[in-house]
Amino acid sequence: MSLQTIGKINEALARRPAELEKARAEGKKVAGWFNYNVPEEIIHAAGLIPVHLGTGGDNRLVELGARYISAMNCVFTRQIMGQFAEGGDEYIKNSDVVFIDVTCKQLYRVYELVRYYFKARAEILGVPYNFQVGAGKEYFRREVAAFAAKLEKISGSEITGQALRHSVDVYAGIRAAVRELERIQAGPETPITWHEVYDVIQAAYYLDKDTYLSLLGELLSEIKDAPANPKVKTDAPRILISGSVIPPGDRKVLDLVEESGGRVVVDDLWSGFAPYLDTDVEEASLEGIADAYLARHPHGSLPVLDIGQDKRLKNIKKLVRDYRVNGVLFHTLRYCDCFTFKAAETKNVLKTLGVPFLEIHTEYARSDIEAIRTRLEAFIESLGTRLEITSGLIGAGI
Amino acid sequence: MSESVAFAGVDVGSLGSKSVIFEDGKIIGSSILRTGLKSEESGLDALDAALEDAGRRRGDLKYIVGTGYGRISAPYADKTVTEITCHARGAHFLHPKTRTIIDMGGQDCKAIRLDEEGNVTDFAMNDKCAAGTGRFLEVMANVMKVGIEDLGELSLNATEVLPVSSTCTVFAESETISLIARGEKSENIIVGIHHAIANRIHGLFSRVGIENDVFFSGGVAKNVGMRKALEDVMGIRLAQPEGDPQLAGAIGAAILAQEAWSKKKILAVV
Repeated sequence: MSLQTIGKINEALARRPAELEKARAEGKKVAGWFNYNVPEEIIHAAGLIPVHLGTGGDNRLVELGARYISAMNCVFTRQIMGQFAEGGDEYIKNSDVVFIDVTCKQLYRVYELVRYYFKARAEILGVPYNFQVGAGKEYFRREVAAFAAKLEKISGSEITGQALRHSVDVYAGIRAAVRELERIQAGPETPITWHEVYDVIQAAYYLDKDTYLSLLGELLSEIKDAPANPKVKTDAPRILISGSVIPPGDRKVLDLVEESGGRVVVDDLWSGFAPYLDTDVEEASLEGIADAYLARHPHGSLPVLDIGQDKRLKNIKKLVRDYRVNGVLFHTLRYCDCFTFKAAETKNVLKTLGVPFLEIHTEYARSDIEAIRTRLEAFIESLGTRLEITSGLIGAGI
Repeated sequence: MSESVAFAGVDVGSLGSKSVIFEDGKIIGSSILRTGLKSEESGLDALDAALEDAGRRRGDLKYIVGTGYGRISAPYADKTVTEITCHARGAHFLHPKTRTIIDMGGQDCKAIRLDEEGNVTDFAMNDKCAAGTGRFLEVMANVMKVGIEDLGELSLNATEVLPVSSTCTVFAESETISLIARGEKSENIIVGIHHAIANRIHGLFSRVGIENDVFFSGGVAKNVGMRKALEDVMGIRLAQPEGDPQLAGAIGAAILAQEAWSKKKILAVV
């Protein structure tokens, strides 16, 4: 039986484009954004409506986008260009301005191209290469201050301390609720699946934040007393998904994992749980927000010269322990070099812990479905055998 | 008369359909047929041929495991398992010291690592294109106007290895035609083709590593020229199993059929 609150979230999503149109007609402004390090709470505090943009999984849009961006760019960025070219995406259409942070350089190219080809009002937010050094922190603080100034100019009003505090509280509430959802779905018996939680996380891309926080509260109350979902296989190998973006609309690999008998229990995807993992704004100021964003789970595109200092790897290891993960599935999109280049080192680090690792390299075209299915099934078979050995089934001669 | 306790493994690949009948821990029958248009029919034909070879009937079988790319159309099977797991178990049966498998089939190539029990510990696959597959060799045999079964032997008569730089089937075909037009000796071109594949396979192993003993399975493993090229390029010695390496997947499937049946029987008692 599906959860009632998830039905309400889906209804709210269906209403959202019309709500945005109405809000804009009443003079409100919508700030769409791409990438990972845009501090959304500042958009919220500025009185603008934040919307996280970008979808995946549509090869037709990828082909269309390739007329405007190199075919050597990743399929996600090509699809975004396709979305701008076609002009059918309700959220892009309703964005008065688009912010793109320079975390992934391919999305920086999108910033240049949407201005050039589609005359979009796009702005960038610089991100330092090195988050550890003082100069990097100072640079990002200045970028965030400039970002806030742009927002004030667009909204026509100042970001007050009170508004900032309220927004920081709303986002802290959302993050706490999402962490709780992620914890609950990973339990042995759970009323909500990881896939459902992933969809709920991506509903935050679009919904009004106060409404979303309230719906998260309802969802947590509902699942507190709800029976376990019988579809969740309690004895299935527990999988962590890492790697390239899996945006709304792209469910190719996620569906195949489930069809192959695996159970995803956690992810560190920047389109999923990563922004909620360890983002904690301790001080409700622009500087406090900037520092908190630099201190959180880093995006794979940022260079880390010392593997021992790579917080992304440290967090993956922690998630493996905390979520009792049996194997890691590293999803890489074609030409998403930042994550593809990190697959080998991630594999090597996990190998030292004895954690099996599988990289799936794919794109939005469906031609490799059966090849991926074979890899996933073989991976899940091998994880299943390991579980049987550790549980003593095979040792007992069964 | 005691009841027959026989098990079958059916491996439907893109080019060949293989089946093995297993009884009392031994192979008592097998078959290798060309895969037809319908993989279900091909699997059943291979199964019946193996049963005939073993002198058994379908009713004698306690459990059937299907594998290979045709496993998605195997309603006759009690269970399906990927060819990766099956090749590991089959190679372990044929050569227990196997720790690494090079599996070259009709449409893909796999690098598989396994533990001392024959369980998969890591693997990598090349199936993005025909390079490093039986299909690649078929195309090249056609260009060279020789039978696929003669390709390996011919390569052993080469006096030098002519480089065929491309592993894209279409480009390699053009490259080969150019070498023929230049008047190069056929055997030298053929050994170049084998080396092109071996180089590609070597790259695949950079992702999983190599540990001895190395077992070469799949239909291409019968090609002596390919075996030599792999040994020369990768600097390894391939194991020399007694059984047919093309049957490794079907053997593994038959072993898994026996294990699944035993498990089911014990759980039913418990």
